Amino acid sequence: MGLITRKKVLSVMALCAMITLLLLPVVVSIPSPAAGEEAAADAAKKDGDKVEKGRDVYYKTEGIVVGAPAPKTTDGPKDYPRYNFESRVLLWFANQQHLYYGSFVLAVPIFCMIIEFMGVVSKDKALAKRYDQLAYDFVKISLTAYSLTAILGGILIFTFLTLYPAFFGYLSSIFRPVMHIYALMFVAESGTLYIYYYGWDKMKEGFLKWIHLSMSVVLNIIGTLLMFLANSWIGFMMSPAGVDEQGRFLGNIWHVIHTALWNPLNVHRILGNMAFGGGVVAAYAAYRFLASKTDEDRAHYDWMGYIAMAIGVAFLIPLPFAGYWLMREVYAYRQQMGITLMGGLLAWLFIIQATMIGILFLSSNYYLWQALGRMRGAEKYQRYIKYLVFLLVCGFLVFITPHTMVMSPAELKAMGGQQHPVLGNYGVMSAKNGGINVIITTTVLSFIWYMRGNKVSTVSWSKFGNIFMGVFFFFAYVNIIWLAIYGYYIPANVRVGLSVPQVATTLSCLFFMMALNGFMMKGAKQMGPIEWGKISARSQYALIMLATAFTWMMGLMGYIRSSVRLFWHVNEIMRDNSPWAYTHTVGFAANMISFNVLFFWISILFVFWLGSLTAKKVPVGEKAGVPGGAPQPAGSH
Amino acid sequence: MGQTIFYILISTVICVAYFTLVDHYLMDMQGLDYWYLFRK
Repeated sequence: MGLITRKKVLSVMALCAMITLLLLPVVVSIPSPAAGEEAAADAAKKDGDKVEKGRDVYYKTEGIVVGAPAPKTTDGPKDYPRYNFESRVLLWFANQQHLYYGSFVLAVPIFCMIIEFMGVVSKDKALAKRYDQLAYDFVKISLTAYSLTAILGGILIFTFLTLYPAFFGYLSSIFRPVMHIYALMFVAESGTLYIYYYGWDKMKEGFLKWIHLSMSVVLNIIGTLLMFLANSWIGFMMSPAGVDEQGRFLGNIWHVIHTALWNPLNVHRILGNMAFGGGVVAAYAAYRFLASKTDEDRAHYDWMGYIAMAIGVAFLIPLPFAGYWLMREVYAYRQQMGITLMGGLLAWLFIIQATMIGILFLSSNYYLWQALGRMRGAEKYQRYIKYLVFLLVCGFLVFITPHTMVMSPAELKAMGGQQHPVLGNYGVMSAKNGGINVIITTTVLSFIWYMRGNKVSTVSWSKFGNIFMGVFFFFAYVNIIWLAIYGYYIPANVRVGLSVPQVATTLSCLFFMMALNGFMMKGAKQMGPIEWGKISARSQYALIMLATAFTWMMGLMGYIRSSVRLFWHVNEIMRDNSPWAYTHTVGFAANMISFNVLFFWISILFVFWLGSLTAKKVPVGEKAGVPGGAPQPAGSH
Repeated sequence: MGQTIFYILISTVICVAYFTLVDHYLMDMQGLDYWYLFRK
């Protein structure tokens, strides 16, 4: 057998091993549900006991009680052992750091998969190599971060066990099989990641490259399933199912996993992770760009930052819609919970969140406008940017306007009530939906301008295409704003449905106009190459801003999601009787989030530095090359 | 010039029709009446 054939056989075997690892937890888990109701019933029959039944708090189905009730904790060293410090803050820190790193290591391999695929299908060999090198650089960073994620996961479990033993004991009694599957999946993830990373050079061409790419698909499936399993725990804490009102497990593990909020959480988190991962990698590239000494390095990191930002923004655009779905499901599950979130105790945090979302989109747009500067021929768009700024600022200001203000009695009297007579009108959902959709549509427009920056369409129908695109965007804005205004004049139960056509309008711009632009730019005349590296330093600070805003917002949203349970460990099932079962002030929460963000960025800089120690030197010719002729995807961006 | 106006008119008709259909059918799919205010 020849060397090549042996390599092929070995790589196929490695891929099969990974798929087996992926399926192993599923196979192991099969007896678990089976060991639920029937096994309990059999055991009870054998013992001659009376079978006790309970009703599922969410699914309303009857099931045989197989678990103990949720413990009724008391404030003391037995249930809440502690240091002379607030245990909740320690847990908050451990949880948040684990989540940051977990998100990063789940997102980056998805990036690798996308970029490696782009390299494999690219016809330009130099470009394909560059994509491949970029994907390799990404996975190298994630490898160090992966170890830190595992360490932080260990710290998190120890924190739970030592500071909240009663709660963790209960949760692990319910999720016992899920936790074991999770551990097995983690083993599978580690094995796959290491083979994927260390097999990079050995499987770099032809059939072997496709096997290598398939490994990244398996790796990402495992990673995503891991996240789904972890999400089932927080979903259970917020919207428990599969237990009776005393918190006794009823034997159906699927009910416990598949709670009311599980799927919206899954979708929201996967999009959030991708946007966050894109932001972090873009910030890394920006940092390297600013620190670069040569034109080649600047071109390479400019390109890297652009790719990471583009992927991040691609996932940022649908993120608000996923968030909207999650909130809608929260309202559907418990209306009071939704009111606490968006109209009560935590409403001000949502105003901060809106501000952060606005900053994210403003930074992305600003980066794209700056990026137009590295293209010859893009000057024609510069004079229109002020109109986009106007639209973005209007959308942003409406989006961040609070419904009511916290005021002193004198201020209240001066304003004539809690609601401002004019601005108060913008503090309602109808206006805010309009605001965010205007912002997203404008971002899509900026992106389309960027995509056609240095090109002139040569298709025969280009005049009609350009006019149609302009008219489509114009009426999209009109429709979004019209629906926002229309919402003021119809009852709430009808108004709530207007968000769907609003979202559809924005998505129409995204998909149809992107596609139209793609057709129009096929075989387009290039006014000049993209001069990678010739971008303002300000644009790189915008990327750093983008990443910081992502990190801060993730911390904020995690806190909001967790706080909505108020004084419950498991909503309406297990009460939190620790001295810290209260909601922190907005100021304290903001400081804590900032501390977490700062800690994450300092530690991730250490990870980046470690990665740079083993930096794989790329031959100059394969790297950015001469600025301008550098990494320029064939005829596109 | 005449061609530009013609293109704008055609585009306007298509876009207005499209967005009206989007509004109507997406509200209808939710069991809601898009024309609520005008029927009242």
